[in-house]
Amino acid sequence: MLKIEHLSKTYGTKRAVDDLSLHIRPGEIFGFIGHNGAGKSTTLKSAVGILQFDEGKVYIDGKSIIDSPVECKKVMAYIPDNPDLYDFMSGIKYLNFVADVYGISVADRQEKINKYAEMFEITKDLGMPISSYSHGMKQKLALISAWMHDPKLIIMDEPFVGLDPKASHLLKEMMREHCDKGGAIFFSTHVLEVAEKLCDKVAIINHGRLVKVGKMEEVKGDDSLEDVFLELEAV
Amino acid sequence: MLKTLVKKQIFEVFKSYFYDAKRNRMRSKPAIAARIVFFVVIMVGILGGIFLGLSFTMCGSLVTAGIDWMYYLIMGCVAVFLGSFGSVYNSYASLYLAKDNELLLAMPIPVRDVIGARLINVYLLGVMYMLTVLIPADIVYLVLTGINVTKVIGAVLFFLCISAIVMLISCGLGFVIAKISLRLKNKSLISVFVTLAGVVAYFTFYFRAGDIVKALLLNAPEYAAFIKRYAYVLYLFGCFGAGSLLWAGVFTTSFAGLCMVIFHLILKSFISIATTSGKMERVAYKVIRYRQKAIPQALLWKEFQKFITSPTYMLNCGLGIILMPAAAVFMMIKGRGIIDTLNEVFVSRPGSADVLICTGIIFMAAMVDTAMPSVSLEGKSLWILKTMPASAGKILSAKALLQIILSVPPALILSLCTGIIADGSALCRFLIIILPLSYAAFAAVLETAFAVKMPILEWTNENVPVKQCGAAFITVISFWAVSILFAGGYMLVGYHLGAEVYLLAWELLFVLSSIAITKWLDTEGARIFAELN
Repeated sequence: MLKIEHLSKTYGTKRAVDDLSLHIRPGEIFGFIGHNGAGKSTTLKSAVGILQFDEGKVYIDGKSIIDSPVECKKVMAYIPDNPDLYDFMSGIKYLNFVADVYGISVADRQEKINKYAEMFEITKDLGMPISSYSHGMKQKLALISAWMHDPKLIIMDEPFVGLDPKASHLLKEMMREHCDKGGAIFFSTHVLEVAEKLCDKVAIINHGRLVKVGKMEEVKGDDSLEDVFLELEAV
Repeated sequence: MLKTLVKKQIFEVFKSYFYDAKRNRMRSKPAIAARIVFFVVIMVGILGGIFLGLSFTMCGSLVTAGIDWMYYLIMGCVAVFLGSFGSVYNSYASLYLAKDNELLLAMPIPVRDVIGARLINVYLLGVMYMLTVLIPADIVYLVLTGINVTKVIGAVLFFLCISAIVMLISCGLGFVIAKISLRLKNKSLISVFVTLAGVVAYFTFYFRAGDIVKALLLNAPEYAAFIKRYAYVLYLFGCFGAGSLLWAGVFTTSFAGLCMVIFHLILKSFISIATTSGKMERVAYKVIRYRQKAIPQALLWKEFQKFITSPTYMLNCGLGIILMPAAAVFMMIKGRGIIDTLNEVFVSRPGSADVLICTGIIFMAAMVDTAMPSVSLEGKSLWILKTMPASAGKILSAKALLQIILSVPPALILSLCTGIIADGSALCRFLIIILPLSYAAFAAVLETAFAVKMPILEWTNENVPVKQCGAAFITVISFWAVSILFAGGYMLVGYHLGAEVYLLAWELLFVLSSIAITKWLDTEGARIFAELN
């Protein structure tokens, strides 16, 4: 679903991502962990086409993000670490705008909006301007807009930040359900307990280089993911 | 603490002189010097020059008539007017809209120090404007009447008093604006109309100022007698400026007291105003019938939503939408007379009137420039468009198209009204009607090109992308240049061709340029947009 080959990205003289390769298959929840500034967000942004990278290739559902960006974006969704949405719109206007761009029929979008807004308990707030939303509400709106068009691949940067415990739990269920239906999820997180319980596979990045990748059980062995992570950080 | 805050405040105001935010580094010494020289030329050369001329016009006749106090009363009023107008919005913005209010209030800093630092900043900016009036006024007065110690002390105290009045008005009106804004928060259209009403009132007074000064000079003794009889305090204030130390003491003490009262009022209300988010009515969510839009329509709708929900954006980039229909009405009433006058003035260059009124229309059409800041206004939300399945070409087209939609109908109204009353053949009138429309399209695509070439995505105040960035500067310069070339070209050589051929040539130029820029936007512009982050 998502194939990253020898990705490198440099900011000035700093190599943020160095020769990184990953392969995320349908049905997988793939966790991406690393310290602050390790290169997680740069990798995610490169994968979704926000950032131009220096070397390497990114394929989404078999298509190159460089050669066919629009085709790639049709089948994926992205949620950044800080969901700066359009403050000048109301929640419902934003969702309708996203639905229009993704070509979702009116009946279909209404059903999805009702379903997810009820789940996240923000139905009554959809008429309000986004500028009045809290961080968590914006995050919920971004999640609804991502799930609304049934993407094959969902890429998220720190998706649990700002969510209340109930919404976090709900998101985990939605992620599992999405992958059980054949979708794929690639997300970064600092919450190692969540990654450990939720992810099928995990990759650890340190100073732009991939230091460990594989199935969760293989990566952590008998230790906790936290122990493995701290051990790798210390090297 | 106050000193540190004042330094921070002043650095913020003049930051752009020393620091290049786009390149994230300090400017070179020549670049800093060039900016300072430019600033001094504007303040001293242009503003100071205007008021030096005004002082010379008035001082001689008023001194000869023995009413020196009236000269100081008038110049004092002008200084108060200029200083206050320059600082009212500044006092509102720097006191109540500062992004670091909450940060500073959370620190162990006394509130009076936070306010004090902000007020010193307001005071200094007010002083900067009023000195452009008072220094020329004092120089002219002292040169014409001779210098002595009393007059110099009087001038210094007069300056202090005027600066206190400017401060009082700025803070008082800033406080009122803050209160009104709290009520108008989230009501962008009302905010626009309230601001426009203020601007119209200011310019009405500004354009009548010349007549008022003339009337004052012609009937100075009568006005002086009237003021002495019915507004004695103004007479005393004028005496103070002309060197009366008694009244200097009285007024200085009074205004110092008033300043303390205002400071106390601001101190009491500051936290509640600066930290409140305004009333927001709860809008219940209702499922409504919705018509699905195609991608280009959805993108255009999004651009339109951005425009109509931001008073700053509307006021700075949409003024032409209101001005062009107003100008159309004006042309229907006074246009014939203007055309006749132009024909008389430029009798050796036939067709000049047609070209000049066309220049006026394209100049007004340039006052709709929504495309210019449209890329920068994406700011931190740029990720939304960049992760959507919409090509960069479509995104940029929507930005250009919004400007065309907003500028073409009012430009058409104005050009139709002008075309009806214009001289010349049917072809010439037709060109007067369609040329501004082609220009509007040309301006839209050109500004979209500027927008994508010179975006500023990191900003905390919408004023930066809307009016304080490189794209805004280049846009203004470009459209001035086009207007000057258009009118000047005809006056210099174009009249040999005749108005019809000349207008047709520009029509072709606008159309071909628009096509070329559109092609550039589809290819190179789209590539640059894709690289933005």
